Amino acid sequence: MSITRRRALQLGAATALLGLLPATARAADNGGEILRQWYKVVLMLVRHTATYSPPVASRAFAYLGVAAYQAVASGSTSLVSLAGQLNGLKALPPRDPAKTYSDAVITHCVMASAVKSFFGNTGPTGQRVMAAAEKKLKGDALQGLAPDVVEASLSYGEALKAAIIDWSATDGGAIIENMGFPMAYEVSKEPGHWNPTSAIRQQQFPLLPKWGQNRTFAMPSGASCGLPPPIPFSEDPSSAFYKQARDVYDVTTHLTPEQVAIARFWSDDPMLSFTPPGHWIAIAHDLLAQEKAGLDRSAEVMMRLGVAMADGFIGCWNAKYQFDYVRPVSVIKKLIDAKWEPLLITPPFPEYPSGHSTESGAAAAVLTSIYGENFAFADRSHERDGLGARNFPSFTAAANEAGISRMYGGIHFRPAIEQGLEQGRCIAQFAIGLRTRSST
Amino acid sequence: MRLRFAAAAILACAGHALAAEGPVVPAFVEETKTSGIDSVYTGEWQYMVGGGAAAFDCNGDGFEDVLIAGGEKPATFYVNKSTRGGALTFEKQTSGLEFDAMTGAYPLDVDGDGIMDVVVLRVGENIVMKGKGDCQFTRANEDWSFAGGDGWSTAYSAEWEKGNDWPTIAIGNYIDRKQELEPWGSCTPNVLQRPKPGAKGFDTPIELTPSYCPLSMLFTDWNNSGTADLRLANDREYYEGGQEQMWQVRPGQPPKLYAKEDGWAYLRIWGMGLAGYDLDGDGYQEYAITSMADNKLQTLKEPPKDGAAPKPTFKDVAWPKGVTAHRPFMGNDLKPSTAWHVDFQDVNNDGLADLFIAKGNVSAMPDFAMKDPNNLLVQGKDGKFIEMAEKAGVASTETARGGALVDFNLDGLVDLLVVNRNSPSQIWRNVTSGAGNWIEVTLEAPGSNVNAIGAMVEVKTDLGTQTREVTSGGGHVSGQSGWVHFGIGEATAAQVRVRWPGEDWGTTYAVDANGFAILDKTAATATAWTPPR
Repeated sequence: MSITRRRALQLGAATALLGLLPATARAADNGGEILRQWYKVVLMLVRHTATYSPPVASRAFAYLGVAAYQAVASGSTSLVSLAGQLNGLKALPPRDPAKTYSDAVITHCVMASAVKSFFGNTGPTGQRVMAAAEKKLKGDALQGLAPDVVEASLSYGEALKAAIIDWSATDGGAIIENMGFPMAYEVSKEPGHWNPTSAIRQQQFPLLPKWGQNRTFAMPSGASCGLPPPIPFSEDPSSAFYKQARDVYDVTTHLTPEQVAIARFWSDDPMLSFTPPGHWIAIAHDLLAQEKAGLDRSAEVMMRLGVAMADGFIGCWNAKYQFDYVRPVSVIKKLIDAKWEPLLITPPFPEYPSGHSTESGAAAAVLTSIYGENFAFADRSHERDGLGARNFPSFTAAANEAGISRMYGGIHFRPAIEQGLEQGRCIAQFAIGLRTRSST
Repeated sequence: MRLRFAAAAILACAGHALAAEGPVVPAFVEETKTSGIDSVYTGEWQYMVGGGAAAFDCNGDGFEDVLIAGGEKPATFYVNKSTRGGALTFEKQTSGLEFDAMTGAYPLDVDGDGIMDVVVLRVGENIVMKGKGDCQFTRANEDWSFAGGDGWSTAYSAEWEKGNDWPTIAIGNYIDRKQELEPWGSCTPNVLQRPKPGAKGFDTPIELTPSYCPLSMLFTDWNNSGTADLRLANDREYYEGGQEQMWQVRPGQPPKLYAKEDGWAYLRIWGMGLAGYDLDGDGYQEYAITSMADNKLQTLKEPPKDGAAPKPTFKDVAWPKGVTAHRPFMGNDLKPSTAWHVDFQDVNNDGLADLFIAKGNVSAMPDFAMKDPNNLLVQGKDGKFIEMAEKAGVASTETARGGALVDFNLDGLVDLLVVNRNSPSQIWRNVTSGAGNWIEVTLEAPGSNVNAIGAMVEVKTDLGTQTREVTSGGGHVSGQSGWVHFGIGEATAAQVRVRWPGEDWGTTYAVDANGFAILDKTAATATAWTPPR
């Protein structure tokens, strides 16, 4: 473990001791509900916008979380601005002390405006949904407010959104072309390295090879929670490499119905779901809705979760392209069984570490820091897709299941899962360590 | 005499060109401005999909007339006034088919009276129009108990189930258009309208659920069993928990989805168009399915060699065959493509089916090509396809949707009509120099299925055997009914036989090259037919 990583863990422990985010916090207005409604829209847009691969989705969740948090913090005596805490985020526009504002209206405005900015490239149905959501939620937010409050709030929301978008424009992830697949890329010819795993032409080059170099949010850089190298390639049946491939093969050829259900539940494919970070956002959304959380708590939870998962993917991608590791399907078909097929679609990028594991490790660490250890919950986020609910005794248990699901699905070796979870937990400490309360 | 001379001239030319390396490059001339066709498919959100055309002969002159959907605006109908081998010439005519809110249409002689009827798909009530002759149509929903519904209809196919004297029509419906905030996951039920027992007309529709927003459907005999099943191309943009589907449809039994246990392989794409053709001559059709950023060409994973029934397990061979057509092949806009109508036709008459794909952005989606040229993928002798749309002159970058590949001027060369969204439909005349010989046949059967929908037509020449299924459905909300075209290369005659719907292979007919033939099930020989002008 690096020094940076140790420091990160210390930061997280300190934050946990200070008793983050009292569950009793409640806003006086309907801002929490409005914010959650916007997240519902965002989860749908992530699924239905072609550029929204999982890393891109995590980025949007982070910026939207920060935007929502700042909408509230900008007028709060207890919440602390993230300016100066997040990389590249300088001073944000202040509110005018002479004016009266509505946190709910500012939040609505900044979300409506930022969502249109982040998802401006969505299709005609997404555009229609955004317009309908803006109309409905604006009506909800404005109810009973004086015109000057509305005007001041909308104006401030636009200014805040502009500052957030300006900040986002320089992080390296703002422009996604060809759905994230480079037009040119030199695929390694060396054994043990990633090579294309599908017959889809666009996916002959790997997804977002430079994502690991993006500006991070709370952690110092994409390399801050580095990983040990994966097991060296070998075709020797007695080698550790061969054994890890055999491990995947043996598990996947004897899957129980429960293991198949787990693999499907956490599959979270882009374009067919809200992606792995979206899955955790959906979990948080449902928990916040259940407790009818106010705006400040809802915004803070979404901000920490979004930041942790965005940093998680940057760190994960940094490692993926450092090691450029081969996928199980390439190895097993060559060395063990040419007819073997994984249950899940093998993602078109290097294997080590597992992205869903990093994301889940990070998300579980954040949610555990908020809700505590052994917080049991039911995950109903995939019910509309017919996958039913799954119950977990803790966020850690859910993350572990998400991790191992990738082995059941035949798309990851076991070390990529274990190291991914560990990397995620490490990265999360930076988000957990963000100072949000003046008392802290 | 003139006809014989023309054929001989074509033969001489063809012999020379076909000897060259690679397939003959097809050549088309756009005749939109002079054709008389002036139609735009337009409209807002509800017309982002659709934009189909129906081609059929409704005045008995052998030339296929055209109905083009207009979206929010009324559809337009055109009588084909072309002469054999001449410029494509159409005349707008009031037909009774000029509905607004039309997404597409398919011709089908529903009542088997020998006069073509039309099934009109709409945003709102679908309408089945009975042909009265001379290209006049009248509403028949009530007379035939056709349930028009109130959906957003985007797919259609029809067949005659064995033993029935009335067709079975499947209608594919898209999302619930009233859902503004949560349209995704709101796919509305597809329906199957079977015949009313013991009477003319349709029974109460059966819902084909789960329904996953199809943009194309096709009754097709995928397993060469003599019985068609219903294949669907579903748009993953809108379904939740969905996938591509195929329904087993058997007379007297409820429809049953093929499942994993049957061998059905899970595939989730933006399914937008569907076409079948037995490309490798193994008796089993390949299926082209259009999508976004990728297109599929499916073939049976394990075609049985021992006569056993195949499993419905398909594998994708689009890449090795050269038909992924995943992004524009010309211009500077190299973003991923958006593909819609698809059809196999032999455009250079070399005996090898070629593949046309209509392309066009859904609606200002910046991540996909805005200048997205249509594809004309010409098959070579090695079974691989070569992109020739630009050389052939059909690489339009308008926003294409539906279309029809039809020999509009009855010169033996397949012409091309493309319906564009928010810009005029386009039509090209095929003027390929050095094309091979050809035959075109039409089927006539006694009973109600007069056009023998579901038949398989086999053509044997020196080139080998070609087989085509006569279907009603597929493409992208576009259908045609009329001459079944085969290129036959240098062959001067063909042996043709038909597996009539629900029956075994019938009589072998001799058909001369470069001519039209009527294959009457009750006749021992083919009847040559000559265009009237």
